Amino acid sequence: MKNQLIIACLLPIWTFQVKAQDAKTILERVDKNMVSKTEITESEMVIRGKRNVQTIGSKSYTEGNQKSFTEYLYPERERGTKMLKLGDRLWIYSPSTDRTIQLSGHMLRQSVMGSDLSYEDMMEDRKLSEIYEGKVQGEETLSGRKVWILELIASVEDVSYYKRMIWIDQERYIPLQEELFAKSGQLLKRTVMSEIEQIEGRWYPKKINFKDVLKGGEGTDFILKKVQFNPTIPDYIFTKASLKK
Amino acid sequence: MIKFLFKGIIRDKSRSMLPIIVISLGVSLTIVLSGFLSGAMTDMVDQNAKFETGHVKIMSRAYADNKDQLPNDLALLGVDSLVANLQVNYPDLQWVKRIRFGGLLDAPDGNGESKGQGPAAGIAINLLDASSGEVERMNISNSIVSGNLPKNAKEALIGDEFANKLNLKIGDEVTYFGTTMNGSMTFQNFIISGTIRFGVAAMDRGAILLDITAAQEMLDMEDGTGEILGFYNNGVYDDKAAIALETAFNKRFENNPDEYAPEMFTLRAQNNLGDLLDYANNMSAIFVIIFVGAMSVVLWNTGLIGGLRRYQEFGIRLALGESKGSIYRSLVLEATLIGIIGSLVGTSLGLIGAFYLQNYGINIEGMVDNSAMMMPTVMRAKVTPDLYYIGFIPGVFAMVFGNMLSGIGIYKRETASLFKELEV
Amino acid sequence: MKLSFQLAYRNLIGAGLRTWLNVGILTFTFLVIIFYNGLLDGWNQQAKRDAINWEFGYGQFHHKFYEPYNPFTLQDAHGKFNVKETKGLTPLLIRQASIYPNGRMLSITLKGLPKNQRALKIPIGNLGKHLGAIPVAIGKRMANAANLSIGDEITLRWRDKNGTFDATNVVVATIFNTTISTVDQGQIWMTLEDLWRITGLKNEATILIADTQFKDTEFEDWKYISQDKLLKNINDIIEVERASARIVYFMLLAIALLAIFDTQVLSVFRRQKEIGTYIALGMTRTQVTGLFTIEGSMYSLFSMLVGAIIGVPLFWYLADKGISFGSVTADMGIGLGDRIYPSFSPELLISSALVVIISATIVSFVPAHKIANMNPVTALKGKLQ
Repeated sequence: MKNQLIIACLLPIWTFQVKAQDAKTILERVDKNMVSKTEITESEMVIRGKRNVQTIGSKSYTEGNQKSFTEYLYPERERGTKMLKLGDRLWIYSPSTDRTIQLSGHMLRQSVMGSDLSYEDMMEDRKLSEIYEGKVQGEETLSGRKVWILELIASVEDVSYYKRMIWIDQERYIPLQEELFAKSGQLLKRTVMSEIEQIEGRWYPKKINFKDVLKGGEGTDFILKKVQFNPTIPDYIFTKASLKK
Repeated sequence: MIKFLFKGIIRDKSRSMLPIIVISLGVSLTIVLSGFLSGAMTDMVDQNAKFETGHVKIMSRAYADNKDQLPNDLALLGVDSLVANLQVNYPDLQWVKRIRFGGLLDAPDGNGESKGQGPAAGIAINLLDASSGEVERMNISNSIVSGNLPKNAKEALIGDEFANKLNLKIGDEVTYFGTTMNGSMTFQNFIISGTIRFGVAAMDRGAILLDITAAQEMLDMEDGTGEILGFYNNGVYDDKAAIALETAFNKRFENNPDEYAPEMFTLRAQNNLGDLLDYANNMSAIFVIIFVGAMSVVLWNTGLIGGLRRYQEFGIRLALGESKGSIYRSLVLEATLIGIIGSLVGTSLGLIGAFYLQNYGINIEGMVDNSAMMMPTVMRAKVTPDLYYIGFIPGVFAMVFGNMLSGIGIYKRETASLFKELEV
Repeated sequence: MKLSFQLAYRNLIGAGLRTWLNVGILTFTFLVIIFYNGLLDGWNQQAKRDAINWEFGYGQFHHKFYEPYNPFTLQDAHGKFNVKETKGLTPLLIRQASIYPNGRMLSITLKGLPKNQRALKIPIGNLGKHLGAIPVAIGKRMANAANLSIGDEITLRWRDKNGTFDATNVVVATIFNTTISTVDQGQIWMTLEDLWRITGLKNEATILIADTQFKDTEFEDWKYISQDKLLKNINDIIEVERASARIVYFMLLAIALLAIFDTQVLSVFRRQKEIGTYIALGMTRTQVTGLFTIEGSMYSLFSMLVGAIIGVPLFWYLADKGISFGSVTADMGIGLGDRIYPSFSPELLISSALVVIISATIVSFVPAHKIANMNPVTALKGKLQ
């Protein structure tokens, strides 16, 4: 579930186009490196509760940033739970109840699984270039890598986060860190990418830590197990019928 | 002597019947009223105890710190052994688990698509096992607006208002959707066995009532619970005992640094109920004293009449040579016997009445001209231990006292005048 | 008649201790009835006053999407109001937000009232100048639940009208103490001006609170909820409390009357010679019955007297100082103040007195009634009947 969120949050960045020459160039390179038309990933999400650590495995199919389908593999409790996102609609299927529940309207603003992410967070399907103005703020060294710091400010009104800061590896064209800010400038969430490896000729982060900075705890880890770039995904995957299969 | 008097009491109906009837009535009235009073006086505290605080409540320390947020991620674990342990060590209390939780309820239409959703504040109690006393304790049967109690863990009661809003009927299925103790997503289908309205604000905001086992499974809280509530077996909160219990229990975990270690809280310590409890107890004590006092006057009068009626008899006995002291003593002894018999009968009757009122109560709905009541309209008595002996105070003492007073006449009057009353 | 009263008076005073016991019980009953009703009246008035002052005002206009107790509706339940048309209405805007006490997220309801409002007692006027953080007011229950005290700064996160996250620090400027938990639990109050500014919902409100009773019931997107309707819950609860109290004091009254009845039976039984004498002296049986009845009902007059001696200063004191019930935080659906000031209305005093006098007279009459059937000769002889 959470990996779904992270993918949803990151995907728009990877298809990013900005007006400012520098930022635009940088993000185009990032896109080229990381974004594929379709993707099938197998991943693990590590949720560190106050009392225990839970690892949830899932397999996701995505096509662009409009369609995604996730199936949970383990632990037993979560197995068979599926989630389908088509545009701005979201369905969740649970095998134990054999029910498909659509989340809509005010429901999308509710927190997902007690986390501080709302369903809406993962529903953003507009390209970042459509809703943000970007510019290169500067350069620095992060985790021993030289990075550009990009600042994105919302150019339309109805966005969840007014400002984003993204740190991009100058050599590998991959984001290493992202911070999301409130209108007031207050930092709300931080995403850190690490264990960068080359997969099928692309540099790719195998571990992403997602943290709501207002809450206690160490955040949630998202660990990539397997990824396929540009596989053929049959259309039926992205239908409600596939939820019940 | 006692045997002789006892025979007299049995054989001479005029001597025994009336006083015994009056004493029995008076005593049973005193008991029923005292019981009803303590019930009426402590109903607010009681209500709180039953629905929220228990007589004592055990939570994890971390849960207790954040209890207003229903923090099930901080819940107690290993509760089966804890409860078993409590049952062994503190058998005079009944220990029950309860879980409060939040989430969503989703009602499907014919095709399984959502036709309506709403926020669900839920409470899970031991609904299926009657021996837990929870159904009775929370007055659930009487709070059901339509339908029945759940018969298994797959059934649930939902709020009447909520059901109306989503147009749900008995037998329909709803899906609960929420978060487990560990933060994962969880779903569960329930069949609506009935709709419910408690008339208690804290409860009616909740939309779903489940069996505890269903909630434990659903919320991934096997062997866990938010709260363990302890209720004294006689249903009566014993402040002293509860405080002692709290101290002893918490001492066991004093040196345990775990923030999830259990901590016990008495009813007094929760929701600032202590003051209200003191007030209610004082008020009901004052009322009971007054009742007993008033009843004593009534029974004293009975004793007086009883004594006065028998002046002729005393005259004859004096004439026959019995000493005044002996007559007086036999009179008092007889009164004591009658008082004890009357009090025994009255106490039994009174307790039956008090227990009846405790279980069934007086429905005052008729006295309240309001159709949409938000409060329980059944006033209940409360059987407290003092009811077992309180009736003897007016029953025996007042009777004896009355007879003693009327008996003084034996000394005052001359033998001749007492005897004379016989011939008039 | 005067003679009867004098005789009755002397008889009663002469009976000594037993008279005073009966009077004592009746007095107590009388005082309890007054006290209980006064307490409930006081509580009722106070609870209503508090509910009006803290929450309801003199009726409210709810935005058509607003449903109390359903936080989901808050998202859309707001609308612009015309300042001119809504004269005498105080806007209240309600939004959802989160705070993070102890690193845990806590959903709260964010409410805004105009800084210079007079409609509710929420101390919005105390929210002074911004010192870096937005000043907010919270209730005592909220302060306890989130472990907050005055001067504490906490991070508040909310969404503006477009759904964009925003967060800033707010400082607890004042903590208020109210009996109304529904304006306290899980709520943070700030000035409407601040709330408008941070959400971008300028000139919008969820509820318009009336400062006088309104006649016209609906306009545009607003539905009118009258004060009576808002107060219904309190009325219901008081009604139930009153009914339960009635049972208690009817029982008390019954016992007191039983004591009088019993005494009367004893009097009629014991004083047959006296009765015979009265009749022999030329009183009619009705007159004798009247005498005994007056004697019985005089208990109630005595108890009024004793009741007044004890009750006037006592009730005066209680009505002035109030009675402390401690600070109960439990939510009982009705405000229970730290102190309840009983209210003793003339209607209450007169009706209670009438109940006691009439019932005492009736129970006195019943045994005295037997006198009418007495044979004066046997009565005079003192022969027990």
